[in-house]
Amino acid sequence: MNILERPLSANEHIKSNSNFLRGTIAEGLTRVETGSLADDDTQLTKFHGIYLQDDRDLRAERGKQRMEKAFIFMARMRVPGGILTPAQWLASEKVALERGNGTLRLTTRQTIQFHGIIKSNLRPAIQELNTELLDTIAACGDVNRNVVASVDPWRGKLHETVTDTARAIATHLLPRSRAWHEIWIGEERVAGGVEEDEPIYGRTYMPRKFKIAVALPPHNDVDALAQDLSFIAIVENNQIVGYNVAAGGGMGMTHGEPDTYPRPGDIIGFCPPDQVTDVAEKVVTVQRDFGDRSDRKHARLKYTMDRVGIDIFVAEVNARLATPLQPARAFAFTTTGDRLGWAESADGTSHFTLYVENGRVTDLPGRKLRTGLHKVAELDAGRFIITANQNLVLADIPASKRDAVAVLVSEYGLDLKANGLRRNAIACVALPTCGLALAESERYLPHLVTRLEETLERVGLRDEEITIRMTGCPNGCARPYMSEIGLVGRTPGLYNLYLGASHEGLRMNKLYKRDVDDDGIVAALSPLFEAYARDRQIDERFGDFVVRTGVVARTRTGLDFHENLAPELRS
Amino acid sequence: MPSSPLLPKTAPFAEDQIAALNSVMSVTTADQRQWLSGFLAGFEAANSQQQATPAVPPARRAPLTILFGTESGNAEALAAQARKAATKLGFAPKVVDMADITLAQLAEMPNVLVIASTWGEGDPPQRAVDFLDALMADDAPRLDKVRFAVLALGDRAYVQFCEVGKRFDERFAALGATRIADRVDCDVDYEAPANAWIDATLPTLKPADEPATAEDSAVIHVDFARAAPDGPTRAKPFAAEVTEHVRLSGSRSTSDTHHLELSIEGSGILYEPGDALGVVPKNDPALADSVLAATGLSGDTALRSALIERLDITTLTGKQVEDFSKLTGAALPSEPGWIAGRQIIDLLEAAPARLTPEQLTGLLRPLPPRYYSIASSRKAVGEEAHLLVAALRYESHGRARQGVASIDMTDRGRDRQNVFLRPNQHFRLPANPDRPIIMVGPGTGVAPFRGFLQEREAIGAKGRNWLFFGHRNYTHDFLYQLEWQDWLKSGVLSRLDVAFSRDQPAKRYVQDTMWESRVDLAGWLRDGAALYVCGDMNAMAKDVHAMLLRILADQGGKDEAAAKAELDAIRRDGRYLRDVY
Repeated sequence: MNILERPLSANEHIKSNSNFLRGTIAEGLTRVETGSLADDDTQLTKFHGIYLQDDRDLRAERGKQRMEKAFIFMARMRVPGGILTPAQWLASEKVALERGNGTLRLTTRQTIQFHGIIKSNLRPAIQELNTELLDTIAACGDVNRNVVASVDPWRGKLHETVTDTARAIATHLLPRSRAWHEIWIGEERVAGGVEEDEPIYGRTYMPRKFKIAVALPPHNDVDALAQDLSFIAIVENNQIVGYNVAAGGGMGMTHGEPDTYPRPGDIIGFCPPDQVTDVAEKVVTVQRDFGDRSDRKHARLKYTMDRVGIDIFVAEVNARLATPLQPARAFAFTTTGDRLGWAESADGTSHFTLYVENGRVTDLPGRKLRTGLHKVAELDAGRFIITANQNLVLADIPASKRDAVAVLVSEYGLDLKANGLRRNAIACVALPTCGLALAESERYLPHLVTRLEETLERVGLRDEEITIRMTGCPNGCARPYMSEIGLVGRTPGLYNLYLGASHEGLRMNKLYKRDVDDDGIVAALSPLFEAYARDRQIDERFGDFVVRTGVVARTRTGLDFHENLAPELRS
Repeated sequence: MPSSPLLPKTAPFAEDQIAALNSVMSVTTADQRQWLSGFLAGFEAANSQQQATPAVPPARRAPLTILFGTESGNAEALAAQARKAATKLGFAPKVVDMADITLAQLAEMPNVLVIASTWGEGDPPQRAVDFLDALMADDAPRLDKVRFAVLALGDRAYVQFCEVGKRFDERFAALGATRIADRVDCDVDYEAPANAWIDATLPTLKPADEPATAEDSAVIHVDFARAAPDGPTRAKPFAAEVTEHVRLSGSRSTSDTHHLELSIEGSGILYEPGDALGVVPKNDPALADSVLAATGLSGDTALRSALIERLDITTLTGKQVEDFSKLTGAALPSEPGWIAGRQIIDLLEAAPARLTPEQLTGLLRPLPPRYYSIASSRKAVGEEAHLLVAALRYESHGRARQGVASIDMTDRGRDRQNVFLRPNQHFRLPANPDRPIIMVGPGTGVAPFRGFLQEREAIGAKGRNWLFFGHRNYTHDFLYQLEWQDWLKSGVLSRLDVAFSRDQPAKRYVQDTMWESRVDLAGWLRDGAALYVCGDMNAMAKDVHAMLLRILADQGGKDEAAAKAELDAIRRDGRYLRDVY
């Protein structure tokens, strides 16, 4: 049967019956006896940037205590390009302290997540963000999520351009429904007004989430090929002349279901700057029309492209465009990492990139990161830019404030020194809040890195930039399949170990060990680090080394991700 | 059904007749008994040419009013005892709650015994506030015809000991009443001195030489409020098995509240929702050891068990400080109010002295029971009583302190607790099951309302039920959350409003949610709803009371005085009931 004729998934009915994402959320917020919302509404709140979660650390005790699960909400802002003003940073911090769990979680989509918001605090939290012109619209859900962009503020106009591009795309693809404003801000619904419509999405929105990035080579901090759609800037004479278009990337898969797989995006052409939003819209509408709405595990654009074929997909996009895509142009990525520390711009402004372990902004003994950033924000200078590596750039600091910032940086330990592996480590949130987590991630990865650092130190690789990414489930929020070392949770304490992605984010990795624990991970990696230190070629990256030496086979596409495994891993 | 005893053994019937009548009476409702008494009176009038002859006593009886002001029920219980004694002495005694009397009525009463308790820092019981205010007012009437005596109840651990009793005593005299016996001030071990006072005072109120009236003599007072005589008492509690014990507070809660289920099977405890269970606790053995060590008495095992099981070692009174000083010659603390927040151990360790066991026990007061509102209905749980217990821990004067009973019940893994029933006639569900009720019960104050809802569910009551609950954190302190959810689903609970004080920057309490719901709240009251408040007296009940006045003023377009009059009328109507502590 044609995929488009199969019965729709439950979520499709929820969307179509939601009256443009309203559902019964507003009524559910008034029910004080539960910290939860109606089941269907918990799907709809995602479109408003809000996830219902529960504190999984508390699950075991709750039943005995005659209380329901410890329901809490996660709210995620929409921050195209990750750029916040100091005032917005302070407003976010205040919400985290007064309405959430006291921490700000910087994410791989360049935004801030607030965790631990109980239901009665949701509206106040969002209204308080809104007073600083921040919102959470479409930060989750089957829509275009937060648009990410490379963070190179020291490159001046180029960075400004990719940022503007990200914002233009975000605005163009913003849902038109006023549901968010009505539910969270209290906007009055216009009676007898114009019939609401979603000219781009339609009333059932996308088949699944949709992620867009704008990359500024050679910096691939946004992991362009891990996105549904990417615009890769082509720079000539210090000008962005247009963008290569990559489509069909995506990380998620399901354990034990080989017809689900992560996939790197395909470069499908080039477009001039003024065509970007139109290309974005047309790719979105093709996926809207051709995506699988019967099975959410096969609903992302990557499956659509493999199902219909890349050529047919591109032809459909071109048919919808006023001018078809041009042939792709040459570009080169060198790294997915961030450049930590101070950087200067020609105009005299300075930028300080600070490493934020796990993206978690909080005060720890001896390192009062949150307070330090609060002090910096109070200087009201420059901008706070969140990177796709969950780090933070204090950007555009004028010369007059640089010394003051520098003093705060050292006073509050914002310049925490981290070794090469740790600087390139990303973990998703996982336990205790994420409902999907099968294993620890954020709370565990730092400890694992500490163990691995012993070997790296011993073999002289302390400062070697090696990417290591961990997720608590196979859905891939931390983009683990694009990491030289990828770890994906299977069950508490056990992970699948993937190796051999390229450092600059152009090649995915390959399963190397299944179901390894902490000791098993260290035992598996230590000899490889030793061999790498001993046998590496000049400038050879760890991910390239393990492929060249046959530790794992090279992964070329999504469809061979599960292929060419070592014999003992074949199932 | 009424609690026994019904007909006294002295009733003019044969033993088997008494038993037969009792077997009928024991299953009657108040309405039935009322009907029966009217029927018998009418029957007598219709069948006899003579005036009905009073049964007992044959002589004329002098009127005696026993006026009580109670918060916990102790003063009321003593009033009932005084009535019993007065009846034997030939009085026609009448027990009157201060909430139910006007000064004009008082001025006409020839003999008045006042039994008044003092709460906290010299406060009167809530139900006595209006009466005391009126009495203290400049326009209070003269009481020249009144002969009176005052029995004051209090707690020496508070500086304003028996303050309310003192005020009554002075004010009655100032208004021209004749004091016929000196006031006696009782500490928490009030039973013996109170009974002695009753026995000594009554004979001094010599019955007057007045012709008996039919009304005086025809009424036989029977105390239906009393617990069954064979039921457990404070002196002879029932060792109830703890059949279930769960901590309700989440592991990250800042409080520590527990749900206990006690088996009262075979105990004879027949509680009604709203009643309290008295718990006879045991002291912390470590604290007992400290007291022994401080007095050089370590190793005296008999004394040790007395300190743990019978004596109060967690309070300190001014009298104890004086007694200790006399015993040991230790200097009195110079700091005024030194006893506040301190316990006997602080005194003993401040001036260590060797005492004899007799000196130590002479210094200490008896260990009083603690009372917990029962959180269940027998109609729902059978022969069990559920309790909601907040473990009390705090620090004062550099020392960690513990609540005696709450820690004994929650932290020592005891499989039995010694309990007895303390009925609370002033905190009952409406007799009419259709009457709506509003329940305000933050924290452990929610306990009786769980019993109320169980009861109303069990009897299929049609009245609407509205609960206001509050605590610190929604996630960790929502006591019985799943049960409220179920009752909302089934419709037993019509409405729930909550306030969690620490979930947001600005503190939020139950009274704030009451204000937000004021339109509906006033509507329910207009519909005849009974409003119940249970929980903390000082921090909560006062604020809730003030908020009720504000809501009545706001919703009725009234001034403060008119709102007060309305709330007073609601209270007199038995629809504003409090169980606060």
